[in-house]
Amino acid sequence: MSGRILVVEDDERIRSSMRLALESEGYEVRDAASGEEGLDMFAEAPPDVALIDLMLPGMDGFECCRALRRSSAVPIIIVTARSDTHDVVAGLEAGADDYVTKPFVAKELAARIRALLRRARPAEEDPGALTFGDLQLLPEQGVLRHLNGEEVHCTRTEFRLLCELAASPNKVLSREQLLDRVWGYDYFGDGRLVDVHIRRLRTKVEVDPAVPQHILTVRGMGYKLVP
Amino acid sequence: MKLGIGARITAVFGLGALILSILMGGLSYFTVRHFLLAGRESAAQHQAFTNANLVRTYIEGGNKKYVVLLSNIDAGTDAHSVLVHRAKTYDSSLTVTAASIPHELRKVVLDGTAASQTYRTPQGTAEIVIGVPIPSVRADYFDVFDLSDLDHTLRVLALALFVAGGITTVLGIALGRFASTRSLRPLAVVSRAAGAIAGGELDTRLDLEAADPDLEGFTISFNAMVDQLQERIEREARFNSDVSHELRSPLTTLAAAMEVLEADRDDLPPRSRRALQLLGDDLRRFQRMVGDLLEMSRAEAGSVDIFLEEVNVSELVQRSVETGFGHMVAHGPGGPPEVEVDAAVRSWRVGVDKRRFERVMVNLMENADHYGGGVTGIAVQPDPSASDRVEVIVDDEGPGIDPLERTKVFERFYRGSASGRRGTGTGSGLGLALVAEHMHVMHGSVRVESSPAGGARFVLTLPVLPEPDGDGEADEHQGGDA
Repeated sequence: MSGRILVVEDDERIRSSMRLALESEGYEVRDAASGEEGLDMFAEAPPDVALIDLMLPGMDGFECCRALRRSSAVPIIIVTARSDTHDVVAGLEAGADDYVTKPFVAKELAARIRALLRRARPAEEDPGALTFGDLQLLPEQGVLRHLNGEEVHCTRTEFRLLCELAASPNKVLSREQLLDRVWGYDYFGDGRLVDVHIRRLRTKVEVDPAVPQHILTVRGMGYKLVP
Repeated sequence: MKLGIGARITAVFGLGALILSILMGGLSYFTVRHFLLAGRESAAQHQAFTNANLVRTYIEGGNKKYVVLLSNIDAGTDAHSVLVHRAKTYDSSLTVTAASIPHELRKVVLDGTAASQTYRTPQGTAEIVIGVPIPSVRADYFDVFDLSDLDHTLRVLALALFVAGGITTVLGIALGRFASTRSLRPLAVVSRAAGAIAGGELDTRLDLEAADPDLEGFTISFNAMVDQLQERIEREARFNSDVSHELRSPLTTLAAAMEVLEADRDDLPPRSRRALQLLGDDLRRFQRMVGDLLEMSRAEAGSVDIFLEEVNVSELVQRSVETGFGHMVAHGPGGPPEVEVDAAVRSWRVGVDKRRFERVMVNLMENADHYGGGVTGIAVQPDPSASDRVEVIVDDEGPGIDPLERTKVFERFYRGSASGRRGTGTGSGLGLALVAEHMHVMHGSVRVESSPAGGARFVLTLPVLPEPDGDGEADEHQGGDA
């Protein structure tokens, strides 16, 4: 599988080695040494995936994510030095779809990229159009819109998460199931990915995200969608 | 035995109250006694002189019925009269006779001087006798007054004072206790603060606002001491963390470059391929070590943001063993060890960080491989000593761990006496320390004992979560955010 990847990383050596490793996995790589440069390159030629280091001089990785998100739904992977700090959650909240921890294995990174680039998996039973609240989800067309026709913008990952939930309305899906289906993670995937994406999704589909009516948490079990 | 400061303060207060009540009681007693006796004596003297006058008039009148006279005088009083006339003695009662009058007094009076004396009869009754010489008729009149009512009053007074003294002493002790706990209270605050600091809460400080004004200087220097301590610890932790952090960037480069080389390994001559193999293996070991160090320094700096997820414990252990087996730096032949799950715990749930738990299992399995001849069994079962905890047991068939070393094996860089070798796959020396650290942040624990086969048995315990309520929908608590 090929695709274009934008790497934003200030350490020249890491940048070069990542470039080499990703290129040998078959990707086309462009790299930027700062957030500002990265945004320019993105505007020039939008990549399929953006890989952003959180610790950048000047504009940091979070700001870079937010800036990208304002104009694009491109999958973003953040590169962080630590997995158990607030950095990960903050990065996901800034709009990232996934993260990898330094030092990472290039094969693993390639697997993450593949998972994000994968098209929404065809559900066993085609969910067809699903209406909940005043929203209409059209999985085939990749569209989520209000009944009045106004489109709701969400990232590819958010959309896929919503589709997975919509494929079995009223049925609880565990974090592990969602991690597997949306991100391609095994049992040891990070549940925070699901939690943050659900939170982000709620701000887009719920009238009051603090009192969700459609995307519900089932404590100790997972999440479910109630039309 | 050394008395505590509290006990000493209490004792001083008690002793003070005792001395004070003895002094005050004694003073009151003797003052009252003196006052009552003086009054009684003067009344008795007055009475005696009046009676003596009467006797004189009677004798001068030539009457001889002295006993009748004396009886008349005594009638209606608690006094008894004794008359000595021309060396003959007359008395009015059977109990009080001339013999009961003290000898010295009698002599003084017979010599012509009026006198009085208080004394106690052999029966124990207090009496006062007034002796009045009546020279004109050559007689001596003695009036003996019973003082038992006064005696009784003084006894009651003494008792009352004694009881009051006792109460005062007890109150003194109570006050002493109160004062000592009160004055030691700032110390208790300090002790709590010191305990918290020792327990790792380095942000603990004494509240200068709330501190006793007398202890202001102490509070300031205590806080200054903790500031210094905290700064040193943080500096050290920062150094550790910086070092491991700085190592990550080159490691990332090395790992990525290594993967490119490994992808092309078939194009390399055999010697280079072998060198690449060595490089790759040690690079992965090095990565693990840096990872371990970083994990450890983070735990020390207290900057661990733990994310606990609710998972089924038997699934967790099974998956951790399977996946972890593949993550081991090196492992023996065969597949991952079997996990034996007790039927009772099959549906039990625990709150863990799955990645950390997997590392715990990997470290224990690696430890068993390095020092214990490999894992012989992994079991999940209820904790026999606490119904709300679950145990995960990892047994090996090695020589076991000496009871004296059983807590030390969880220390950093501890290498047991039985393991001098540093062969292939030797760990970073942090493996078991990290097991303890990971279990700690997940509210669990780890200990080591002997396995039935004589090897080492590592026992992990984790608190069990209540069964999820399937209907608990729409509650906004994000199940895992701890």
